[in-house]
Amino acid sequence: MAVALAAVTLPSVVEELLSEMAAAVREGARIPDEHLLSLKFIFGSSAIQALDLVDRQSITLISSPSGRQVYQVLGSSGKTYICLTSCHYCSCPAFAFSVLRKSDSLLCKHLLAVYLSQVMSTCRQLSVSDNQLTEILLMEKKQEA
Amino acid sequence: MAETLRRVLEPGRTAEPGEENAVEADPPLLLLGGPSSGKTALLFAAALEAAGDGRGPVLFLTRRPLQSLPNRTPAALDPLRLQKIRFQYPPSTGELLRFLCSAHETQGPAPALLLLDGLEEYLAEDLGPQEAAYLAALLLDTAAHFSHRIGPSRGCGLIVALQTPEEGDSGDALQLSLLQRYFPAQCWLQLDAPGPGQRCLRACLEPGGLGPRAEWWVAFQPDGEMTVTPWPTQACDPSPNKGSSSGGQP
Repeated sequence: MAVALAAVTLPSVVEELLSEMAAAVREGARIPDEHLLSLKFIFGSSAIQALDLVDRQSITLISSPSGRQVYQVLGSSGKTYICLTSCHYCSCPAFAFSVLRKSDSLLCKHLLAVYLSQVMSTCRQLSVSDNQLTEILLMEKKQEA
Repeated sequence: MAETLRRVLEPGRTAEPGEENAVEADPPLLLLGGPSSGKTALLFAAALEAAGDGRGPVLFLTRRPLQSLPNRTPAALDPLRLQKIRFQYPPSTGELLRFLCSAHETQGPAPALLLLDGLEEYLAEDLGPQEAAYLAALLLDTAAHFSHRIGPSRGCGLIVALQTPEEGDSGDALQLSLLQRYFPAQCWLQLDAPGPGQRCLRACLEPGGLGPRAEWWVAFQPDGEMTVTPWPTQACDPSPNKGSSSGGQP
């Protein structure tokens, strides 16, 4: 996977898998084991770690009256990371290294957890003011600096 | 946003059925070229094009005001089009980030096209790879938020101009390949042999894996007038990309 992958859309195989998992959840069924195995096949150990984050309800969807949204994920180390889903971005070090620099992963576990929590409708929801959302987005920059 | 740029380079082109609303199929575009390769002129032409088709305003971000109108076409002198182009001049990377992070707090109609000129000047402030990625991601997120405000049928486009890094600089090459992840469509501008009194460029548009690659010959007269003609052959070697080791090209 030496070629840089576009950060704007998910590969269609992942899109398909997520939508099949969403369909199973909508019908009230368990997510079939074969889907979980496919997830493990595509994402390796990140898949288990992402499912663990979903189980622990570590994903919060923060939205403001403007309609802008950002996800916050509480990582296993206790740190929180910002994830943007309009394009693929996570503020964690693994995303910077494995996804951006080496291009050997599609997503980090936090972004995968965000997509899985969307599928399973297990995100926590937090409403903030427009100004507070600005500060959350800016805080990300300050943490990096 | 390859389609907006294609309409600049192919005046009279009409969108094919289904293309006009195909926001998803018109990914953000990176406009690449060396110094004085006409990037600002093309961005401005894209702004005029978008301002003229009855859509919302155009937001043009640049570090410093344009010294003069880059092209003197009838469209460039049309006050109704010029009124729809809103310029903002974030003086530093911090101010640009603040502008993008707070874009949802602005009132009024959402822009139909977001343009940023001179990304290299903002990246020059010692941004690490992750900070550069955050800036790119915020540009996309801001355009996505404007699209959300406009409504489902038509989105907000995004074109960002970047001066191509010097070859051999591995840090810049990494930054370029990182940006190419976020901007699947790219247009390369290369200086070509000039005619008398003209500045000539070769424009090569790669619309991001969807449409075919296309090329044009762009000439600027001394008075700023821009003329575009299709390149004789439609095969193009994006040689400026060879500086990036991992490469964004398949």
